This record gives sequence, structure tokens and C-alpha cells, in this order.
Amino acid sequence: MSEIERTEIEIPEISRVEGHSAVTVDVENGKVVDVKLEVFEGTRFFERIVLGHKYDEMPHITSRICAICSTGHVLAAIKAVENIFQFSPSETEKLFRELMHLGMIIESHATHICALALPDFVGAADLSDLAGKHENEFAIWTRLRDLGASIQTVVGGRPFHPVNLHAGGLSRYPSRKELRPLLVKLERGTEDAAHLITLLKSFNLPTETELAPCFLALIPEGDSYGYFGKTIKASDGWQAPVEEYTTYLSESSVEYSHSKRSLLGTKPFMVGSMARLFFFSEKLGKTAKDIFDKSPLAQKNKRVSSLWNNFAQAIEIVEAIERATVIIEILLTSTIAGSENTDFKNKLKAGRGVGAVECPRGTLYHSYTLDESGNITAADMITPSAQNSAHIELDIRKAAELELKKAPDHLRSTLETLVRAYDPCNTCATHMVSVRQLK
Amino acid sequence: MSNNPAKPIPKVAVESLTGCAGELLVILDNLEKLVPFIRIMSFPFAQSKNEDGPLDIAFVEGSVSQPHDLEKLKRIRAKTRWLVAIGNCAVWGCVQAGSCSRCHADDMMHSVYGDTCKFEVMQAKPLEEFVKVDVRLSGCPINATQFLSVTASLLKDHLPFITHKPVCLECKLRETACVLIEKNLPCLGPVTAAGCGALCPRVGAACYGCWGPCQEPQMEAMATILQEKGYELDDVLSRLQTFGAPKELFTRMASEKN
Ligand code: SF4
Ligand code: SF4
Repeated sequence: MSEIERTEIEIPEISRVEGHSAVTVDVENGKVVDVKLEVFEGTRFFERIVLGHKYDEMPHITSRICAICSTGHVLAAIKAVENIFQFSPSETEKLFRELMHLGMIIESHATHICALALPDFVGAADLSDLAGKHENEFAIWTRLRDLGASIQTVVGGRPFHPVNLHAGGLSRYPSRKELRPLLVKLERGTEDAAHLITLLKSFNLPTETELAPCFLALIPEGDSYGYFGKTIKASDGWQAPVEEYTTYLSESSVEYSHSKRSLLGTKPFMVGSMARLFFFSEKLGKTAKDIFDKSPLAQKNKRVSSLWNNFAQAIEIVEAIERATVIIEILLTSTIAGSENTDFKNKLKAGRGVGAVECPRGTLYHSYTLDESGNITAADMITPSAQNSAHIELDIRKAAELELKKAPDHLRSTLETLVRAYDPCNTCATHMVSVRQLK
Repeated sequence: MSNNPAKPIPKVAVESLTGCAGELLVILDNLEKLVPFIRIMSFPFAQSKNEDGPLDIAFVEGSVSQPHDLEKLKRIRAKTRWLVAIGNCAVWGCVQAGSCSRCHADDMMHSVYGDTCKFEVMQAKPLEEFVKVDVRLSGCPINATQFLSVTASLLKDHLPFITHKPVCLECKLRETACVLIEKNLPCLGPVTAAGCGALCPRVGAACYGCWGPCQEPQMEAMATILQEKGYELDDVLSRLQTFGAPKELFTRMASEKN
């Protein structure tokens, strides 16, 4: 019997915002036999550590799950708590929350595209290299990042782990004087985002892949493209209220990873910018819609590689800048009014509440159960990265099968770029892939 | 430093154990200010070519929460002159240590990942429990100005001065109305280290302790005031411990409870 020729393609560490991860691809006789996305970040047991805490502590504690998406965690936690008390925020609060969320989208997407993905596409080793060789692009990143951080600081009190957002409303309403300078930054941001789009367009991204992703995203509540909603939608037309997520997402632990993974029934699926644009491009503002319509993302029958996620995020930056400008203009001309009866202490009751928001990387769920004193008795959080992980493995497998015959260097960089495209929370990666012959 | 050709450029690393990457983000956002004065040997979050070798300063974020973290921490300690614990996770253990002090790591693991799970986990602890820490820079996340001034001191070969006075002091300096007295909010400012600029009271919210305990925190007095304001001792205790204040600070309260 001839000896089996085995190769293991390994990416020993891809640093991620939520910790550390590695990728291995096992190849036997020229066929991919196994793919593993291994997340070996230190576990923090958030679902357990919040137990016994009071409902009003949830935003602050769960915000610490992730710095880049902390605003998303805070908002999901707030929504879950407010759902238990059947509280509806005032219009002003809704606008401020949306503005805050857009600040996170701009900051996170810009950091992902510029600091993480761009070096791959322009042939720079990393961010410092980019800073030296591509000053203009580096400056775009610093300005867009600063724009997102400024919005979150004005509304939330600091660039991440916000202190001003609570279940029941904001502690303090930003003044017109604080809001106005953001308009100037947003205007500059419009130019920067346009430059980013042109740049990304000039890269030769593959438009054909054999994968037809199953997409999942929240249906936006309002008329505009948005990140908040109560119903989830899948690409086969199926819909469900987010409260029922345990019936449609099957979550499980895998031995080799600290990250749980979710399947939709038995299927891996994809959440994030591409999913949102796939469903709701009709709701985009004019500028973003034009860009979308002229891109391969608009041709729904034609399959687009996950690498297009970078471009999809850039479109969302354009949209977020346009929408944030509209929101600030509304706030500047309206009476700012908070909600009444925001104190839940006198109407405590036992119950379960689910809150979901679209984070930069996809849908995030928080679910809490309270006893009648307002203590958490059960909690569950499902992050976008856990949802995407099975799909990333599927994508790696496909890409590795297609490219197996190519030179190891080429394969290595294809896989790295692919994983990174999914990883908007990751401001950079240790670009180390080793291809080892096992025997 | 770069303006003195005789002196080699200080070598710095930015590393993380178990945390949320908050400090990494703060450092990344301020990188342009540091780059002229230091050589970044390793910063896996932000650069691809990371070198091993002796260091002048190692900034370490996150708590020790798994054997892997501990090995890494020991490796870093062995090769650096100054070890700076950055962020509440590294200095106090943050939420994972604070809330976990009430339950065992294995139970937590099984309740989150299921009974069959075999990960190696540890009770989350701050760096100082395992190695010598030269500078403790708290904050969740750290404050950029404080971070830059600490770094500037270290680059001049001085150990930095970091205030551990309570948040209340910053409220007084800013003339912010006291939310504990005026609004009866469960503000932990009196027992929390300053450094944030009293961010929460400034917007009219209660400090929830994200900077960790101040110097000689009067936990008993804090608990008494909050009890007088109608908060249950259990809730007060859990609030005080959330961001990693060590158990020893609560011995009397705990015995009072029993
Ligand atoms: S101290 Fe806070 S900001 Fe820093 S890593 Fe820990 S949780 Fe994140
Ligand atoms: S006031 Fe307290 S909780 Fe708020 S940011 Fe400062 S230390 Fe953290």
C-alpha cells in the first residue's frame, strides 16, 4: 500500500479581539480532510459571572466581553432588560442610541479595513509598514477611527465601554454645542470613505465562489438601513422573532475551541455586513446604494467571495456617515426629551428578555432571566463570531480545495486574507502561517 | 532615546492575556505618539513581525485565566526590565475575577460549556499573584493621558507616580454634584481609584468601580452608607466586588452577613 501523503496547513495564531485563534487544515493525498478554527482565548464565563447581579449592572459587566463591540453589547443588554420591563425609550433616546451604534460601526469597520485588511491588499507587512508606505491611507484610518470614537465619546462618555447608556435611557443628553463639531468631522469622513471605496474597488477581488452562503440578519425596525430589530431573517425567506433564537440556533461546544458554534438547523451560516446588504440594500441612502448597485454584491445570483466583506463594510461606513449626519441634524432642531418612569425599581418583576442588535460582525443576542428582586438568574449571549465560525471553516475548506495545487505561499496568503475578511474586530493579525509536511 | 545617539532605543512589547483588548485599542490609537521614541518588538494585535529578545518595557493586558496565560506571563517577566500591568484585568482581575470570586472555575466552565468539557481553566487572577509587577496602571480601559505619562516616565528611567486617590477627588476638582448624596445613586466613587476624570458622576451616573479600589478603600463605610440609602448588603457586596476588588477588603462585612 502506498504511503498516505499528509500535509497540515497551520496558522498558529491569528490574534482576534476576542482573544487568540488558530487555523489548521489537514490534507491527505491531495484532499482536504479536516478544517479547524481553534479559538484558544481565555474563557471568561460571562454567562455565569453575571448571575446574582442586578439587572442594571448588565450593560457595564457585559460590555467587557469585547472592547471594539462594547457599544453593541451595552445596547443588546439594555434592550434585553427593557424588554423584561416592557419599556419603550423616547424618540430622542432612540436617536442617540442609533447614533452611538453608528459611531461603533464607523470605528470598527474603519479599523478592520484599514489596519487589518489593507496591508494585505497593498502589499504592506502590517500597520506600521502601511503608515510608512501609504501615509494617505493611514491618515484616512486615523480620521475615520477618530470620527467613530468622537461620536461614541459625545454620546456615551468615552470611546468604548460607554458610561452614559443605561436601561431606561441616557444619564445625560449631549448638548447642541457638543453635537455640532461632529458634523464637521462627518463631512470630512464622507471624503475619506469615498477614497476607501475607490481603493477597495481597484483590488482584484474574486467574484466567483462555489459557496452560496446562508445569510442571517435582523430586519431593521425603521425605514432606513439599520442595526436594531426584533425579527431575524434568513436567505431562504424564513423569519422568526429573536426571542425564539434557541429554537432556530443550535449552539454547541467543540473540543478544540473555546468558542461555541451555532448552526441554523444543520447549516453553517454567515452574519455581518454582507448578510445585511444582501437583504436590505433597498433601505440604503442614495450614495451607499449607488455604490452597492454598481458592485458585484448587487448581483444576487452571482456568488461573491467572502473577501467582499471588506467592501461591504466600506459601504456601511458610507451609509453610517450619511445616517449619522441626518440624526444629528434632527437632534439639533428638535426638543430633546428623555423618557418618563425610567426607574424600574418600583416595577420589578420576574421574567425573561432577549435583546438583539446587529454588531459590526453580525447579530448579537443577549438574554436574561430575572427573579422578582431584579437579580439575574440565567443569562445567555451569542456573539457573531460564534455564529460565523462554522461558516469560516466551510469557507477555508473550499478555498483550500481550490488552491491546493498552488504554491504554499500563495495558499497561505489566500487563507489568511480569507479569515481576516471575516474578522472585523481584529485590528491586526500575526501573519504567521506555516505549511508543514507531517510525513 | 532617538534624540540621543549614544543611548539605544528602548525596546517595548504590548502583550495580552485574558481580557477584552481594551488597552490594546487605547495603545493602538496612541501609537503614533510613541513610535518616534521606542522600538516595538512585539505587538501581535497590531503588527505582523514580532521579535523575541530582551525588553525595556512590557505592557501586559488581561488577567491570568488559563495555564497558557501564566506561561506567557512568565516568559515576558523573564525578559523585561519593567513589567507594566495595564488595565483593570491585569491589576485587579476585573469582572472575571470579581464575579468569579463567588464560584469555582470548574463549575463556571461546566455551566457555560457543558459537563463533558475539558478545557484547562484557572480562577482568574491579576498578574501580581504570580510575578513581580513594577507598575500597576489600572482602568477599564486605561486612560490615554495617564498611559502616555507613565510611559514617558519609564522612558526617562523613572518609576511613574500614579494617584490612587478616590474618584470623589476628581468630582470635587470638577465641581460635579455628588450623585451619592444628591441622587441617592449607589456610587462607588468613594472607594474607587481616580484616573478616569469621574466619567460617570460627570454624566449623572453612579461610579461602578471600573478603575478598581482606591488607596485604603473604606469598604465598610461605603457599605454602611449604601445600606442607609436602602440598598441590600448582598447587592452592595456584589457591586463592590464586580470589578475585582480583592476579598480581603470584605472580611468584616462577610462575617457580619453570616
Ligand atoms: S481591563 Fe477592561 S478594558 Fe482592559 S482588557 Fe480588561 S475588560 Fe478590557
Ligand atoms: S466613574 Fe467609576 S465606573 Fe465610571 S469610569 Fe470612572 S472609575 Fe469607571
